[in-house]
Amino acid sequence: MKKSLSIIFLLIIFSIQIYNVIAIQRFPKPEFESGHTQPPTLTPSPRAQALDILDVFVLAAALSIVSWLVIKKRSRKGVFWMSVFAVLYFGIFREGCVCSVGSLQNVTLALFNPEYSIPLTVIAFFILPLVYTLFFGRTFCAGVCPLGTLQDIFALRPMSIKSWLEKVLGVIPFIYLGLAVLYAATGTDFIVCRYDPFVGFFRFEGTFMMFIIGGLLLLIGVFIARPYCRFLCPYGALLNLVSRFSRKHITITPAECINCKLCEDSCPFEAINKPVVLKDKEEKPIASRRFIFISVIIPLLVLIGGFTASQFHENLAIVNPKVRLAKELINNTNYGEPNEEAFEITAFKSAGQSKEELYKEAAEITNQFYIGGWILGGFLGLVFGFTLLSLSVFRYREDYTPNKGTCISCARCVDYCPVLPEDRSL
Amino acid sequence: MKQKLIIGLSLISLLIVIVFMAKDFFRGSNRSQTNPYEYKLDNLKHIDPELITYSEINQIKPGIINPIAIAIDGKDQIYVSGENKVVKYNSEGNQILTFDIDSSSYCINVNSSEEIYISMLDHIEVRNPDGTVKAVWEVINERAVITSIATTDEFVFAADAGNKIVYQYDLKGQIIKEIGKKDTLTGAPGFIIPSPYFDLLIGTQGKLWLVNPGRHAFENYDFNGNLISSWNRTSMLLEGFSGCCNPSHIALLSDGSYVTSEKGLERVKIHSPNGDFKTVVASPDSFEEGTSGLDLAVDSKDRIYVLDPVKKLIRIFEKK
Repeated sequence: MKKSLSIIFLLIIFSIQIYNVIAIQRFPKPEFESGHTQPPTLTPSPRAQALDILDVFVLAAALSIVSWLVIKKRSRKGVFWMSVFAVLYFGIFREGCVCSVGSLQNVTLALFNPEYSIPLTVIAFFILPLVYTLFFGRTFCAGVCPLGTLQDIFALRPMSIKSWLEKVLGVIPFIYLGLAVLYAATGTDFIVCRYDPFVGFFRFEGTFMMFIIGGLLLLIGVFIARPYCRFLCPYGALLNLVSRFSRKHITITPAECINCKLCEDSCPFEAINKPVVLKDKEEKPIASRRFIFISVIIPLLVLIGGFTASQFHENLAIVNPKVRLAKELINNTNYGEPNEEAFEITAFKSAGQSKEELYKEAAEITNQFYIGGWILGGFLGLVFGFTLLSLSVFRYREDYTPNKGTCISCARCVDYCPVLPEDRSL
Repeated sequence: MKQKLIIGLSLISLLIVIVFMAKDFFRGSNRSQTNPYEYKLDNLKHIDPELITYSEINQIKPGIINPIAIAIDGKDQIYVSGENKVVKYNSEGNQILTFDIDSSSYCINVNSSEEIYISMLDHIEVRNPDGTVKAVWEVINERAVITSIATTDEFVFAADAGNKIVYQYDLKGQIIKEIGKKDTLTGAPGFIIPSPYFDLLIGTQGKLWLVNPGRHAFENYDFNGNLISSWNRTSMLLEGFSGCCNPSHIALLSDGSYVTSEKGLERVKIHSPNGDFKTVVASPDSFEEGTSGLDLAVDSKDRIYVLDPVKKLIRIFEKK
């Protein structure tokens, strides 16, 4: 029965592919026999609308299945095979685009630029994983995100790293998130897509840099599981925050934890909170004083962060092509090209815009970066502050529990737990 | 110990990746030094001189503001039309007739009786050999752009780039058939004509040959409008045609080979009746960059006449 269903499902998927074949090629493709190499692009060719809609359904179905496998079935094996499916469908078949990770930039741009029309499917790709995370934890990361699942398959010899190091490196995704939002909001660039490490593998083409970064991350991922998810992914940072409020998160044990410690080293992501014995608890006055101190300095950190980042607004803004063009024209540096006029300058001249208009536009963008710098810095100050606070707060725990923020619900730990669901009654 | 070393190395590699990404982004190395999308045709414009088997033997400067079309009759008399004027030369290149027309002409053709057919965008004028008006054929519609005319003893064929169709007229100027309409039953593919270049001629076997420029194809129709055969050659190399729509003009040699002219890559070549590339008449070096609309004609000695609208010259090429 299962086999028949699988065959029917695959037949439906492949028959939809015929949709593209029906389209008649109006003009012959340009020939590039001159040796011209088409430059790799950040986005693949547009998909048929029917396929776009199908993608949303597949995403919702995949999220539902993975959540069911994690929460109800507690099946690591099932999650693994869903990971393989995610790599094949969301990665290779869909050429990795649009993905939920990158969609946060589309959503940001749509919020800040009314002229940008965001497709509903992109909104769905952004919202659905967040909604599922709010209910079931990061099941999207576990078996639906092609970036994460690809790394998961490569996590062959995972080793644990110090928890303080995990905390420190765990701040990087928030910095990346802040920068991604800033650059998307100002219409400068989609940096998450530009530095997507695995999209080259999915499309079987990409820049040399893409393959080097992707290959290196997969190699690192053999020993430090999912390095991109843990220490870079900006969408993961968002899911981390949302997952803390998840209603029905995976548990290591299906019933009462017997503290057998078998699961202690099972998580390759250091996402298991170990029991804390009461004797380790600090004296209350000391802990309270530290808590109050950090709580007081958080606003200060926000201000310092905002002020510091705003001072770098010109450095941040220089990445914007218009700001860069204005700077090159003012300084007459021609993008450092000594021989011929840089093509950006040629394009600007032929566009017919005056230099004054360009300078005005560049000044406005730079001002946006000044404001954005304050917000970015403030956000990072807040992240540092809360990280400090979380490190300082003593949490008494009797059981082994997943860290709802960092746990990606991969269900590895459940296989280590000897407690059976039937033991609930015990 | 080994584990610590692996973790240490992995973390260092991770930091290198992050630093590299940040440096690449902020230091601007993501800007390539050259435009990756730049479409360079320089190499293709250079043609091996050994492949050019024709040489330019003469030039005629017609006294027309914007010469557009050229035709040659059975006596090798040359007709050139353009803005408000038609000029006729004898086979020696001496002007023997000139007459005014109301507006700019788009193409010109002469039948065996030396009657001159001139397209005036949306209608056709038929002139007597002395240039006087014989007939004015009705306006087709406002979309019409007649870009080529071919004649037989019974019919006149006009290629309409605007409506993407060929009209078959009788000699009285009545449209009796439309040829080339897309038809899935007969397999007629329909014409793809993104720019006003749509040429036709009567082949050596008395059949109609049309250029389907968007497909880089030649299509052969009988006078009932049935598609008989076709060939297409898409290539940026000499073997074929490239760009949105080429060749822009064609002419017929006595052995059935086709002379073709292209825009984008300004060149004149000869293809055998089955479409294979034969030789080069004029390389892109012979024309100003951006030249388009190189109309062609062939005389009884298989000399090739190229109307160069930029240099405003009739350029005559002969086999070396």
